[in-house]
Amino acid sequence: MADVVLEDVCKRYENGALAVDRFSLAIGDGEFLVLIGPSGCGKSTTLRMIAGLEEISSGTIGIGGRCVNTVPPKDRDIAMVFQNYALYPHMTVFDNMAFGLKLRGIPKREIDARVNEAGEILGLGELLRRLPKQLSGGQRQRVAVGRAIVRKPKVFLFDEPLSNLDAKMRVEMRGELRRLHRRLGATMIYVTHDQVEAMTMGDRIVVMDRGAIQQAARPSEVYRRPANRFVAGFIGTPPMNFLRGTVARQEQGLAFLPAAGASLPVTTASARFLEPYVGQEALLGFRPEALGTETAAGPESRLLGTVDVVEPMGHETFVQVVTADGTRLTARVGPERMWRPGTTVSLPVEMGQALFFDARSERVLGDA
Amino acid sequence: MKKSSSDIIFDSVNTFLMLLVIIVMVYPLYFVVIAAVSEPYEVATGSVMLWPKGLTMEAYANVFKNEEIWTGYYNTIIYTAVGTLYNLLTLIPAAYVMSKIYLPGRKVLTWFFFITMYFGGGMIPTYLLMKSLGLIDSRWIMILGGVSCYNLIVVRQYFQSTISDSLYEAAHIDGASEFQSFFRIALPLAKPIIAVMALFHAVGHWNSYYNALLYIRNRDLYPLQLVLRDILILSKTMLASIEVDEEGMLEWAARQAYLAEAMKYATIFIASAPMLIAYPFVQKYFVKGVMIGSIKG
Repeated sequence: MADVVLEDVCKRYENGALAVDRFSLAIGDGEFLVLIGPSGCGKSTTLRMIAGLEEISSGTIGIGGRCVNTVPPKDRDIAMVFQNYALYPHMTVFDNMAFGLKLRGIPKREIDARVNEAGEILGLGELLRRLPKQLSGGQRQRVAVGRAIVRKPKVFLFDEPLSNLDAKMRVEMRGELRRLHRRLGATMIYVTHDQVEAMTMGDRIVVMDRGAIQQAARPSEVYRRPANRFVAGFIGTPPMNFLRGTVARQEQGLAFLPAAGASLPVTTASARFLEPYVGQEALLGFRPEALGTETAAGPESRLLGTVDVVEPMGHETFVQVVTADGTRLTARVGPERMWRPGTTVSLPVEMGQALFFDARSERVLGDA
Repeated sequence: MKKSSSDIIFDSVNTFLMLLVIIVMVYPLYFVVIAAVSEPYEVATGSVMLWPKGLTMEAYANVFKNEEIWTGYYNTIIYTAVGTLYNLLTLIPAAYVMSKIYLPGRKVLTWFFFITMYFGGGMIPTYLLMKSLGLIDSRWIMILGGVSCYNLIVVRQYFQSTISDSLYEAAHIDGASEFQSFFRIALPLAKPIIAVMALFHAVGHWNSYYNALLYIRNRDLYPLQLVLRDILILSKTMLASIEVDEEGMLEWAARQAYLAEAMKYATIFIASAPMLIAYPFVQKYFVKGVMIGSIKG
């Protein structure tokens, strides 16, 4: 087992495009780390640089305390699972898993033992003599995982391994990979663009955008206290609502005045760090669950808007509301109330859950 | 789904045209087969149309009377087998290497190959080169040759488009060297294109005639095609030298002339039969979808 340390790692392509920008992160021994971000954010490139499939332009990568910058992939003691499985189509399941071991000159008895063990863990026992083309998508991905675990590497790298599976299979494999991590206790680095995977699987999530780390924290922390507007908008479905407005001092204390009108009183906790922003522009962010649900206290913080789209999910309903200045907000409410598109509604905002962002830097305000 | 009347018309016209094409292509081959075993006189008068008339093996007998034909067969089989092997040994690794984007000097190499596609030395300089290389009247002249740029591009494209990069990446992580990636991943997956190329080159060597004509004097090294050509020429010249002065000689001479025609058909069959026989054995490698199950997305 080993830790993985990246220091100021950059990837610049020949055409000058910067794919990864000064990426620094220490991944603990046995940690399950998830890299997430939109397409082209550099998450896969980062993973491929750790694997050694992509050269790094500057910085250092260390695995298990050893700098691996110039070490070829096969000597990094890593295993990788690819998005498209990348199974050897002319080899049986057994041979696919045994290939790496054979190349390393491991005795046949040991190979048999390891492959059979992996086959058992992954429920591939009866399929060992089959060819990849005779397997289903989920089984193929299991073989790809099996090929990684027989090698007993220090670090597992997963490059969007579940994105080619159907929804049901994905949920199943998600649990299976978590169990595998618990069982093996190895360091795992997992790239995905699926935030459900990130939230449910990662010990820690790294949110990336435009080649740089936006936030690296525990999943709950990333959801509860996103570091900036990008993370706030990227994590969570439906995404966080944002309102532009100004911070003002009123009789009862500070209030946030959205551009669309209304006045939302600021909680005392938020007032402490909003003091310097009085009279200035700021960005208010709140999750859909903080909008539209009437609480017993019935705070006087309400927003007016016109119902645009209603999406009943069964156990809850998503209501999209458009405010006077055209800002679209989503409310996550209970299924009881009926909403008619086109009607004007007044929705309460749970200001205790609200976050404030600097209007220019878009960083979250206040300390954790 | 029920077919509309325009669909039915379209299908009928299509079927009709395709049948026509089949007839145009298959009939000449069929005619060669039946003409070679028909009474030469019947063939000459045009009465052989759909089946052989006056079944006779005379044409074949006359061709096989010539003992050189066996030497020709022997030589051609050697030229085809060794030549094809040589072609594949040079072509496949070259194409594989050229399919790698990270190959240093790839562009220069590509141009190097491309130039040979557009410019050649011409017959006489090539002859002089072969002569100084000592390849005149040698079996090697029928075997050695350059890599065809066209085939190189076809095979390179196969490697690039059919075999996913992630397969090689997986192999690298598994610990495979470049050679192991080639022999254990690329080569087994390239069977279909290797089969196609083997067939291309084998047919080329089998029918090769021009090189032998230019460079080979020694009759013991003649390939089959050259032997067959000589047999035909010989029967023609023999015919021309006959003096028709005796009673009944005219009839015999005419028969010889017809026989020469029939021998032409027999030689065509003799020359192409082995290839026709070999084809089904190669065909099983023309499989589709070698990559099924390997990658997705």
